Amino acid sequence: MGDAMRDDVMKDRTEQLVDYIMKKCLWQFHSRAWDRTRQNEGILTRTRQLLCGEPVDISTPEARCYWVDAVCMADAFRARYAWLADMSRDEIAELMQGLHERIEFLTVTGSLNLELTDQKY
Amino acid sequence: MPYHLFKCSECIPEREKHAVIKGPGETLADALPLGYLNTIPGTISERGCAYCGAKHVIGTPMKDVIHLSHGPVGCTYDTWQTKRYISDNDNFQLKYTFATDMKEKHIVFGAEKLLKQTIIDSFKAVPHIKHMTIYQTCASALIGDDINAIAQEVMEEMPDVDIFVCNSPGFGGPSQSGGHHKINIAWINQKVGTFEPEITSDYVINYVGEYNIQGDQEVMQDYFKRMGIQVLSTFTGNGSYDGLRGMHLAHLNVLECARSAEYICNELRQRYGTPRLDIDGFGFEPLGTSLRKIGLFFGIEDRAQAIIEEETARWKPELDWYRARLTGKKVCLWPGGSKLWHWAHVIHDEMGVDVVSVYTKFGHQGDMEKGIARCEEGALAIDDPNELEGLEALDMLQPDIIFTGKRPGEVAKKVRVPYLNAHAYHNGPWKGFEGWVRFARDIYNAIYSPIHELSKLDISKDEIPTDKGFVTRRMLSDANLPDKVRNDPNMRPYTGKYDSLVDLRGKTYPTFEPQPVAV
Ligand code: SF4
Repeated sequence: MGDAMRDDVMKDRTEQLVDYIMKKCLWQFHSRAWDRTRQNEGILTRTRQLLCGEPVDISTPEARCYWVDAVCMADAFRARYAWLADMSRDEIAELMQGLHERIEFLTVTGSLNLELTDQKY
Repeated sequence: MPYHLFKCSECIPEREKHAVIKGPGETLADALPLGYLNTIPGTISERGCAYCGAKHVIGTPMKDVIHLSHGPVGCTYDTWQTKRYISDNDNFQLKYTFATDMKEKHIVFGAEKLLKQTIIDSFKAVPHIKHMTIYQTCASALIGDDINAIAQEVMEEMPDVDIFVCNSPGFGGPSQSGGHHKINIAWINQKVGTFEPEITSDYVINYVGEYNIQGDQEVMQDYFKRMGIQVLSTFTGNGSYDGLRGMHLAHLNVLECARSAEYICNELRQRYGTPRLDIDGFGFEPLGTSLRKIGLFFGIEDRAQAIIEEETARWKPELDWYRARLTGKKVCLWPGGSKLWHWAHVIHDEMGVDVVSVYTKFGHQGDMEKGIARCEEGALAIDDPNELEGLEALDMLQPDIIFTGKRPGEVAKKVRVPYLNAHAYHNGPWKGFEGWVRFARDIYNAIYSPIHELSKLDISKDEIPTDKGFVTRRMLSDANLPDKVRNDPNMRPYTGKYDSLVDLRGKTYPTFEPQPVAV
């Protein structure tokens, strides 16, 4: 596969995962920018670890709460997107990195929500 | 995503930034309606006031509490009994409402004496209730009555009572949402941590942002109890005052309506380290996933799985029957806040209807982000619409049904669009697996109501057919269905009881062997 074609495939797959998260999940829309960044990091990191077969930190209630969202999402990704099974660990890690960046853009850095920078809840 | 300016609002150009149409390939970073701003002068909003948001939405569902408004009786009247947040203690909080009934003379001379006397009289009138919430209104806020001081005085004189003061006057925010915020913060500041309820399970949750509309909370509580989970408190539907004072002791906050109650979850997370898990109690798949997440958190996923399988087997054939008859129907999903995102995708996925518009009266931009993310392309999203915009949108979109509150709902009826009450429901509960079928049935009954067919005829100009007789819903809904679907043995209409709650109250639950605590 040529580089450009590979990029297109990755982009398309990232968008499929973005679409899933936007339609089915709620965790990405906490009300403050710092909170969203924390959620994105906590949940998407664990989802990547699950999909890549890496150990996952569930040692605190907070970590465990991120993990439950990650488990359900990783299962849904596997069930819906057959192409995941054909990807190597490194490719999945790269895909998840791209997904993390895209979600961070859509919900934080590129978000038009004016309330995200309020200091208080 | 182009902004949309309604024709009727051309004279209020600021309104343009409050509506968008979701275009193909566009994202939330392209356009987002403004939200949670003061209503623009000249546009007649459908919002409620901040006192109403605090009292009517969040305060009053608490069941074992005297709810006393310190203000003119009109404020109280407008927040009494129009929602259907029932409770399992004979609906005390719905049956009785209390007010100081302030008059002009109190505005001039003060109303603190009147307040104190009313508090004492109220406790005497219902001696079995020992808790009270006092709600400030515009009038009592403007004259500066010190409600906290009076409440403290009474608590010292009557040591067996406890009083919570909610200072959220009508003008305390752009909409009812300002009141949601204020009462969340007031409750955690004044009351959380002041009582220690008994802990009876290894798995303890607060169920937050759930108001027991027609029994929703009781349906969800049934699932939790079947999993061996203790619902320490519900904020606030069917919730008890003391349970809610003990919110700090739960292991997990399960958050349903983030719009009205995320504040207290966020604060509990910051102050007590309790995690916040956002869930969807509506729709088979979202509800199943939500139960599974809670099960996973506590290491009892198998118990959640058993419920999902049992309930799906029981109710899916009935949901499918309605889905076959609702597919392709156009819906305007115009609730107050959170239901625009709780329902936007799942009524499309599971009932086959197309959401052509979402709106929110008091939602923030975050709610619009969730709602727009979840609805399909082409949907019109509107923030804080006025009545004329609503009518223009109905004319433009020609929906088959509208889910909204009773004020815009009655307007919709006049233009022959059937409406379901998105806030108080028609024949709820609508949460849970059975509830979701009841919702589908209500939609079906509304869309195919023969009365609506008749109402489309204008006797002043239309010819009234005399050759057509009696029709039923079934005749209308099945007219164009293929035989295979019409006679499908795997589908059936709703077979539950008229009152789906009777069997839940007084039900006994299994006891589980203690397991190593997962948290
Ligand atoms: S706006 Fe003020 S006066 Fe009107 S109902 Fe609300 S609290 Fe009462």
